Amino acid sequence: MTSAVTNTVGPGAPSPSAHLTASGIKKRFGGVEALRGVDFDVRRGEVMALVGDNGAGKSTLMKALAGAHTTDGGTFHLDGREVILNTPHDAAEQGIQIVYQDLALCENLDVSANLSLGDEPTKSGWWFLPHQLRPIDDLEMERKARAAIDKLQVRTLQSVRAKVGGLSGGQRQAIAIARAVGADSTVVLLDEPTAALGVAQTRQVLDAVIRLRDTNHAVVYISHNMRDIFEVSDRITVLRHGSNVAVYETSQTTPDEIVVAMTRGLDTEAT
Amino acid sequence: MSAEISLTIVDRFRALRETRFGSFVPVLLALIAIWAYFGITEPVFLSPRNFYNLFMQSAVVGTLAVGITMVLLLGDIDLSAAANSGVCAAIVAVLIANFGFSGPVACLVAILAGIVLSAGQGALVAYVGIPSFVVTLAGLLGFQGLMLKVLGQHGAINVSDEFVRGLTKITFSPELGWAIAVAAIAAFTFFTLRRQSRRRSASLELESPGALYGQIVFFSALLVGAVATLNAYRGVPLLVVLLVALTGLLGWVTTSTPFGRSIFAVGGNQESARRVGMNVKRIRVAAFGIVGMMAAVGGIVGASRYASVSFNAFAGGPLLLEAIGAAVIGGTSLFGGRGSVWNAILGALVIGSLGNGLDLSGASAADKLMFSGAILLLAVAIDAISRSGSGQSR
Ligand SMILES: Nc1ncnc2c1ncn2[C@@H]1O[C@H](COP(=O)(O)OP(=O)(O)O)[C@@H](O)[C@H]1O
Ligand SMILES: [Mg+2]
Repeated sequence: MTSAVTNTVGPGAPSPSAHLTASGIKKRFGGVEALRGVDFDVRRGEVMALVGDNGAGKSTLMKALAGAHTTDGGTFHLDGREVILNTPHDAAEQGIQIVYQDLALCENLDVSANLSLGDEPTKSGWWFLPHQLRPIDDLEMERKARAAIDKLQVRTLQSVRAKVGGLSGGQRQAIAIARAVGADSTVVLLDEPTAALGVAQTRQVLDAVIRLRDTNHAVVYISHNMRDIFEVSDRITVLRHGSNVAVYETSQTTPDEIVVAMTRGLDTEAT
Repeated sequence: MSAEISLTIVDRFRALRETRFGSFVPVLLALIAIWAYFGITEPVFLSPRNFYNLFMQSAVVGTLAVGITMVLLLGDIDLSAAANSGVCAAIVAVLIANFGFSGPVACLVAILAGIVLSAGQGALVAYVGIPSFVVTLAGLLGFQGLMLKVLGQHGAINVSDEFVRGLTKITFSPELGWAIAVAAIAAFTFFTLRRQSRRRSASLELESPGALYGQIVFFSALLVGAVATLNAYRGVPLLVVLLVALTGLLGWVTTSTPFGRSIFAVGGNQESARRVGMNVKRIRVAAFGIVGMMAAVGGIVGASRYASVSFNAFAGGPLLLEAIGAAVIGGTSLFGGRGSVWNAILGALVIGSLGNGLDLSGASAADKLMFSGAILLLAVAIDAISRSGSGQSR
């Protein structure tokens, strides 16, 4: 257990091979300091697990990376170049996609509409209309949806024209993941994607995560399940009370060590 | 056992409503039931003359209902739409009678005024964060006052302008009516078949042949029936063609453009719409602006039909509740994210048919109100049942 600190990469010293790096990210909600200067990085072709107790700031960090929250301090770098991530649009343009903890799907729309939400392809030849009023190219939209679903190998989904409201939890999760993967993304952030799933469905999500790594994506995976984390992740970042605790190589640590770091931090453990 | 069976019926009903034309089925059944009932008790009800009147009577309610549908889809409501109509009608009347404006210019000014009044309320809802119920309740009161101000001391102003009156007086010759119907059927068939062939060549899921030709036959039968009936009396009214075209345009915008998609997205899950980068506030203001436009059109139609503008015809009467009722009876959800402008037209016909039929059978005003209330309650109950169902399947 004394190996914990030697196995970590110190905060503020992101490895040169990092694809996406966040440095000194701060975020407060009124009186709550959700992030107090967090450092974080992820490489391509790796799964970085992000762990911490409830309220540690994991979701907030993910939303900051996805442009869904503006930050109160800190910088983001992509392949060493500083990037601004103030809106979801900024993040999508940089190839960063997120699967939210609550999925953020529209149940009243069908699968293909959800997969293209906010970025609907429009038919050409309608340049005289403002973009918002051009006809949607729904065939292209369905084709893209089909491709994204096939890529994930969700066999249980019959039709991309089914309303999301009628789908199971696992299918919804798959669609939320397909939305992130369908876009031309290099970074995929998954916020507790298996929290509401059964065993078989969790398996599907883990397979999808591994497939993302194998296709050279940078994957961030949030979960409370140590078994899953140790199965899919390459490294583990531990957050506590909105601050970094440490970063571990998964192959050189144990679930017990991670749980201790999550709940007590390093200082108490050393004494 | 019986619980199980009723569950599957509700489930089937729900599944039916999810299909492309399925959401029309309940309101169409209601319409057919009402027509059958009054057809038996009051044979005059099914005469071409009465149908012509029915269409004309339902026009103002239908126009407003189509507009209100836009904000219902967002999960908002507009209680000020009828009062806004009244203001716009008063503007048209005053501009023509007192200021000598030409009819088209007066109408244009009124439409702009309607858009500004509603979009302003939309801005209060979107940017200040006041619930639409409260904002438009204030709007309802304020616009009623505004209408009285615009009308001035007379209380009622006659409208004799040729252009404005023509909107509801002109009917097409039978030949022109048929030509329009044939053109519409040809276009519908062409686009439906082209869509299917494109889907085939892109190897996407296909519509079943039954559904495909069913759509075309259904659409054709509806149109042929309507034109034949109207031609048997005076011919197809210009007003009906105008309103159907306007509804078609809004129907297309809501179902086939990114703007329309974002309205449904906000109504379905506002937070997810925001997170994918949609400008929820602007969408809301735009939707309210469209209500204002339709309210103004409704006001102009009303001014044209009654040949005069008075307070009671718009703001004081049951117009607002009938319009909201029409949208909801049509199958548009009060909870947002579900519905269509075409359903609002069908809902307006249901309300119009009820009123018309009860009038013919000599029912009292009390009976009419109670009947309308019962139908509205039924529609909202159906809405709530289909909604709780989609929530359970999580
Ligand atoms: N939108 C918000 N408004 C106010 N406080 C928030 C908001 N989002 C998160 N918080 C607070 O920030 C802290 C971190 O939350 P979160 O990032 O969701 O934690 P985690 O995902 O690690 O469980 C919590 O104390 C939470 O209450
Ligand atoms: Mg969280």
